[in-house]
This record gives sequence, structure tokens and C-alpha cells, in this order.
Amino acid sequence: MFLTRSEYDRGVNTFSPEGRLFQVEYALEASKLGSTAIGLLTREGVVLAVEKQITTSLLEPKSIEKIVMIDDCIGCAMSGLTADARTLMEHGRVETQNHRFSYNEAMSVESTTQALCNLALKFGEGDNESMSRPFGASLLIAGHDDNGPALFHTDPSGSYWETNAKAIGSGSEGADTALTDHYNRNMSLAEAETLALSILKQVMEEDLTSLNVDIASVAPEFHLYSAEEVEAVIARL
Amino acid sequence: MSMVFAPQLAEAAPTSHAGASWSPYDNNGGTCVAIAGGDYCVIAADTRMSTGFSILTRDHSKIHQITEKCVLASSGFQADIRALQKNLDARHQIYQHQHSKQMSCPAMAQLLSNTLYYKRFFPYYAFNVLGGLDTEGKGCVYTYDAVGSYERSGYSSQGSGQTLIMPVLDNQLKSASPLVLPPRESSTPLTESEAVDLIKDTFASAAERDIYTGDGVEIVIINKNGIRRETMPLKRD
Repeated sequence: MFLTRSEYDRGVNTFSPEGRLFQVEYALEASKLGSTAIGLLTREGVVLAVEKQITTSLLEPKSIEKIVMIDDCIGCAMSGLTADARTLMEHGRVETQNHRFSYNEAMSVESTTQALCNLALKFGEGDNESMSRPFGASLLIAGHDDNGPALFHTDPSGSYWETNAKAIGSGSEGADTALTDHYNRNMSLAEAETLALSILKQVMEEDLTSLNVDIASVAPEFHLYSAEEVEAVIARL
Repeated sequence: MSMVFAPQLAEAAPTSHAGASWSPYDNNGGTCVAIAGGDYCVIAADTRMSTGFSILTRDHSKIHQITEKCVLASSGFQADIRALQKNLDARHQIYQHQHSKQMSCPAMAQLLSNTLYYKRFFPYYAFNVLGGLDTEGKGCVYTYDAVGSYERSGYSSQGSGQTLIMPVLDNQLKSASPLVLPPRESSTPLTESEAVDLIKDTFASAAERDIYTGDGVEIVIINKNGIRRETMPLKRD
């Protein structure tokens, strides 16, 4: 696909004559290699669901963390290089806590997303703080603030979009199509849980079990489901 | 030998040891009062600006509107107060750009506390009362010391006439001991016009005895309809 791009994909801050930043485009590809993550917005709250690839039976499933809490009412699902995503998460946690320190209030979901994107864009600047290359991760940021529940999607270029439902990662194309067909704005949180898992089941190679998926909701507080709660959702499929 | 940071009162005679007596501070006097009700907040301050036995001007506002629902009344050293107001205005402008909304009064209260504490060892010589409506539309009053210690209360007074006004407000508004009656909300039970009348009375009395309070009182009333200003002349002697 990129075989003929010789010179301009070396530097992270050099445009090609066609106006492209190849390292950013490669990072976008990296983020599409990760396992699938799905987010759905309902009027009651937001649901996040991710696939966890358990490569060997010796692996401890709990050690794969692809949904994390940023603030009490903000959670995030990641796809791509999870190590990169964790750097972004850490930044988000610091920013939301700084906001609480300064203003004694929770940071809004959009502002938190913007803060993460600010860091995602801060690559190749050469100073110690900044990353030498773009972050190879896409994020789904789910939260609840003064304006109610909200879902945002970010990519390695530092752009973000507010969406009703979105899938990222390797199965995202199929999952996005399924979401377009089956999602509606008035569904309940429980319906969103089942839709998320049924779509995940379609795009996963392995059989879906309570060990290889994680579900979390933000309604209005972040909650990562226990194995029993995941079983309960699977039972409804 | 202890280090004394207490600002020199302007009327203190210059000492004979030349050079050691210069102070970066002046006290320009003045009194601020605020009362919060269930759905309104009244913030008032006199308009005299003095130094020592001299009146610099009879018409200087000590009240500064920061947001649509939040005003700051300050007495102390007018140059420091002006610097503090500009600082908060700039911070609010940045906040609006970052978060696409106005800062709430409780958020501004925390920001003001932090701003004052960051100058813990060369403080703004400013005694502040912050008043406005909180996110639920209830009146709120925040009262400060010069280095940022603050609390939310139903009413407060700061400045040169504080010692004359505060006992009167306590007598009229202080709720019974929470051991005797269940604790009341932080807002007072007065109606808006009762609060304005009470404030006018306290200023008329303070202007009788405090030489730094007089000339006029400026009263700002914030309620769900917006913000309104009233003035009343005080003794000019």
C-alpha cells in the first residue's frame, strides 16, 4: 500500500508534496490493528465494550485492561498500541484532577477529550516531555457531565468527533455497519449492552465469554462490569 | 527575630531610620457586604477610596463583575485589587475558550482561593467577598482572607467596617445553634428587598463611625432576571 512512499515517511513533521503526513497515516493503521472496541450512547448513559484477545490459556485475563476510568464520570476504551493509550489515559487523569484542584468541579467530557487530543498532537517536538512519533491508538471516551451523557472518538491525528455510536479497532468496519443498522437513540442502557455484545460477537474470531470481553458503563458514574455482570449480559444475547 | 509582613497602616508616622520603612502596600480602606438568599444575592460596597486621613476619591467602585452570575467585592489596597481583578478576568476568558461556558460561582470561588494562595508569601492585600448564583440558581456568598482561606456562607462582610457590620448581620441573620435547631441552608431567609434594606442600614451605621467608609454605597443585586445596580449616598465627612 505504501511501498512507493520513500522519502517523506521518515520525518514525523514533514508534509509530502501531496500534503500528507505519512507517519500519522501509519499510526492510524496501527490503531486499526488493535482489538475491537464499541461505544454506544443512550439517554440513560454510555456503554463501552471491548474484545480482549487471550492469546494463550496461560494468560491472566484480568491483566488485559482496555477500558479504564479517567475521572469519576469519564471512562475510556482503547484500541491500537495500548502502551501509547495508557500514556494518554495518564494525561487525562492528570488534567481532570488539575481541573478539580483549580475549579472544584468535574471537567466536561469534551474538554477532557480536547486535553487528550492536545497530547496526541504533541509529537516530534524534540523536548523530553513529548513523544517522538504519533500515538498509535484510537480512543472512545464515554462520560457524563452537565449536558448529560456523551461519547467521543479520537484518532492518532489528534482529531475528535462526538458520536452516538462508534467502533474502533480491527473489526470496526463491520461493527460500524451493524451499528448504523441497529442503533437507535432511544434504546435503553440494557439494550445497548446487548447490542454492543452481539456486534462484538459477530466480529470476534474467538467465542465470546465473560473472560474475553470487558464492558463498562457511565451512567452517570463509571463502572467496569464484574465477570458475573458480563455473564448476565451474555445470557441475554 | 520574627519577620513581620503586616502592611503598614498609612497613618503610621514614618520612622526615623531612613530606608527601612518603605512598604509595598497601602490600605485604601472600604467595606464590602454580601447576603445570599434562596434565589438572589446582594453584594454591596462603599465608594470611598482613602489613604490615611485623605480621601483620594469619593466615587471608586470596589465591585467587579467577573461573570454573568458572579461578582467580586474587595477592599484593601486598590492596586493589588485591580491586579487581582485583571488576573481573574483573564483566567475566566481562558476558561470560556477552553470549556465553552461561563465559570460557575463555586468554580470561581475555588479559583480565587488558589490565586490568593499562590501569592502566600507576597500576598495580594485584598479582602474579598464573592457573591452570585450557584449552578442551581441559589444565592451564594464566599468570604476570604488575604491568603485564600475561604468558606461559603449566607452573609459576610469584609474591610475596614467589617467589625461594625458583622455583629449586626449576625444578630439579624445568624441561625440558632445547630444543636438547638436543625441546621439551615447557607442562604438567609430574607426576601430580596429586605436584604437590600438591611445592607443600606448597616452601611449608614458603619459610615457614622468608620472614617474609611462613606460617600456612597453601590449595591449589586443578582437574581434569575439578571444583574441590577443601585446606589445610595452616604455621609461625606
